[in-house]
Amino acid sequence: MLSCRDIVNHADQLLDRDLGISTRVAVRLHLLLCRHCRRYVKQLARLIKAIPFMHNKATEEEVRKVMDCIHSHSNL
Amino acid sequence: METDKLAQLRSGDPVLFAELVRDHHRALIALTVPIVGISEAEEVVQNAWLKAYQAIGSFAGKSAIRTWLGSIAINEAKMQLRQRKREWLFSDHSSEDPYTEDSLAQRFTGQGQWQHPPALWHLDSPESLLTGEQLAECLERLLTAMPDNQRCILEMRDASGLSFDEICSELTVSSANARVLLHRARTQLFKLVDHYEETGEC
Repeated sequence: MLSCRDIVNHADQLLDRDLGISTRVAVRLHLLLCRHCRRYVKQLARLIKAIPFMHNKATEEEVRKVMDCIHSHSNL
Repeated sequence: METDKLAQLRSGDPVLFAELVRDHHRALIALTVPIVGISEAEEVVQNAWLKAYQAIGSFAGKSAIRTWLGSIAINEAKMQLRQRKREWLFSDHSSEDPYTEDSLAQRFTGQGQWQHPPALWHLDSPESLLTGEQLAECLERLLTAMPDNQRCILEMRDASGLSFDEICSELTVSSANARVLLHRARTQLFKLVDHYEETGEC
C-alpha cells in the first residue's frame, strides 16, 4: 500500500498520464480511500492550470517599446 | 484561440499583435532570465517578438500561442549565448533520494501519512488562483529565490507548455532529473498557495 508521501511524489506523473499501469492502479486505490490525497491531487491540478496566468500583463510602456522596435524593422 | 482572431493575427494585424505582447511579454522574460540572465533577457525577448511578428503568418495554431512564442524566445536566448561565445551551463544535480528535499517533506509523519494535510482552497477559476495582489507579490519573491534550474523547468513546462521531450532536448537533461526539478518547483508553489489559502497571508 502506498503512503500519502508516495502519492505526493507520484502526483506530477499521474496528472501528466505518465505512470506505469501498476503504479497508476495503486495510486488510484489510495485516492479512493484518502480524502487528503484526493484534495492534494485535485488542488495540484488546479495550480498547474493557473501557472500560465501567474505573470502579470506587460505595461503599456513595455508594449509600446516592443511595437516601436517591430515598426522600425518592418513596414508596419 | 478562435479561428477568426488567428486569421487576423496571421495577416499581421498590429492591434492584435500588441495584445499578444501585453499578454505574454512578462512570461517570455521569465522564461529567458535563467538562460541569459536578467540584464539581457529584455533584449532577447525583443528580438523574439521581432521574429514572431515576421513568422506569425506561418503559425499553424497546432500548439498554444504561448508555447510557440516560448520556443522562439528560447532559440533567441541560445543564439545570444552563441554570439557572445558563452555557454549555458544547466545544472541538473539531484540527490540519491530526490523527493526527500521537497517543500512538503515536513508535512508528513515518519510513516508517510499526512500530519498537516492541505487546506481547502477557494477554486473559482485558474486565472483567479494566483492573481490576488498579495499572493502575486509572494509568488514573485518565491520565483526569484527559486534555484535557476527549477524555475527554468517550471517556466518551460507549466508556464509555456513545452513538452517534456523538448525540454530534455533543450537542456540536455534526463527525463528523470527534469521531473525531480519540476516536482520541487511545483511543491514550493503548492506550499505557498496552501499557506495563503489557510491563513490569508504568505
